[in-house]
Amino acid sequence: MIPDSVYGAILLSVIDFFLSFVMIAGIGVVLSLFPYLNRLGEVDEKKLREGGH
Amino acid sequence: MFDQILFFFNALLQQTGAANLSLGNLVMIAVGGIMIYLAIAKHYEPLLLIGIGFSCIVANVPGPPDVPGGPPVSALLYVVKEGGLFHYAYEGVAKLIIPPLIFLGVGAMTDFGPMIANPKLVILGAGAHLGIFVALILAKVVGFDIHEAGAIGIIGGADGPMAIFVTVKLAPHLLGPISVAAYSYMALMPMIQPPVMRLLTSPEERRIEMAQLRRVSKLEKLAFPAVIAIIVNLFFPPVAPLITMLMLGNLLKEAGVTERLAKTAGGALMNIIIIILTVAIGSTMAADKFLTWDTILIVGLGLLAFVFGTASGVITAKIMNLFMKTKINPLIGSAGIASVPIAARVSHIVANQANPHNHLIFHAMGPNLAGVFGTAISGGIMLALLGVQ
Repeated sequence: MIPDSVYGAILLSVIDFFLSFVMIAGIGVVLSLFPYLNRLGEVDEKKLREGGH
Repeated sequence: MFDQILFFFNALLQQTGAANLSLGNLVMIAVGGIMIYLAIAKHYEPLLLIGIGFSCIVANVPGPPDVPGGPPVSALLYVVKEGGLFHYAYEGVAKLIIPPLIFLGVGAMTDFGPMIANPKLVILGAGAHLGIFVALILAKVVGFDIHEAGAIGIIGGADGPMAIFVTVKLAPHLLGPISVAAYSYMALMPMIQPPVMRLLTSPEERRIEMAQLRRVSKLEKLAFPAVIAIIVNLFFPPVAPLITMLMLGNLLKEAGVTERLAKTAGGALMNIIIIILTVAIGSTMAADKFLTWDTILIVGLGLLAFVFGTASGVITAKIMNLFMKTKINPLIGSAGIASVPIAARVSHIVANQANPHNHLIFHAMGPNLAGVFGTAISGGIMLALLGVQ
């Protein structure tokens, strides 16, 4: 897929670095939605440990 | 009679390792000694450096030849060769059994709250990985093939298990030097990172105090492992085994009803794995195998990768500051290199030296944890682009 040359190494690096930014930004977007989970209610940690949920 | 005594003494000497001690062995014994010194005197990651340093020393104390006329074999290599205890330890590393178990333990010990609390900072987990690509390109320039260059580059991800995982897939013959470089530099981050961080920031920037993080609910912490496991398995199957185990460990911790399992995964099991891993890595540091031109190049490129990773993390944070109303302390950028929690601790210490009221550890943990995912993503994309399953 990627040629075994310096050009290939640069190509691999540019694609990988760019896609890493995109994917990790995607994870950031998903995480920014997490506070909305709290609208579902609150988990009582004490009850959770006792098996109450 | 005198000749006979000399003959027997000589024969006796040949049965010991003393006759086979080389200058290279002495150099590597000194390297092992320095590692133990840094662990004990400077408290630089003693859990890693004690085992690596000790086994490095013993691996360089030669014994008699294994077969008449053959090369000298150290006592440690007797337990490393087939049938010996550490042969199986090394096989555990080489066959990718140990890295997922390490991730299970890390997950069971880690609170991902700081990463969930401030999602903007996860971008630093990608920004601090420029070192991977600098090392990759330079490795290719100096003559390694593209698979070897990829494995060398991943040292810059500062994530030991991920470096092992990617190296076994891309260039298994380089596992010894790459794992030594990755773990040694991770342990030496308190020495490597601060000069780069200070060089790229002004005293005013280092003094920036950050607002307290929001409280993350239990429900969010419970959802996190499942959501991330789905994303990683969906988009990055080559590295899914590691992240899946990381998330399983974290769910064991957060579930509240599996305290025993979380304690074992992050405690006893993790300790056993650390002992096995460090001895397995240190035992590959015999002078005849380690003091080669290729290994020296790999170690040098690994250092460059760490330096560039640290620098790119700080610079990414400074660029983010251009667009953010509330400024972040750019020192947390270097924590995006991964190596949890060492890099976050370094950010905290450097900031604390500039401003004693500054406690950056929780803020730095966000990018630090994102760095684990950043390395996994970079590794996964690299494996996919190189056509490796």
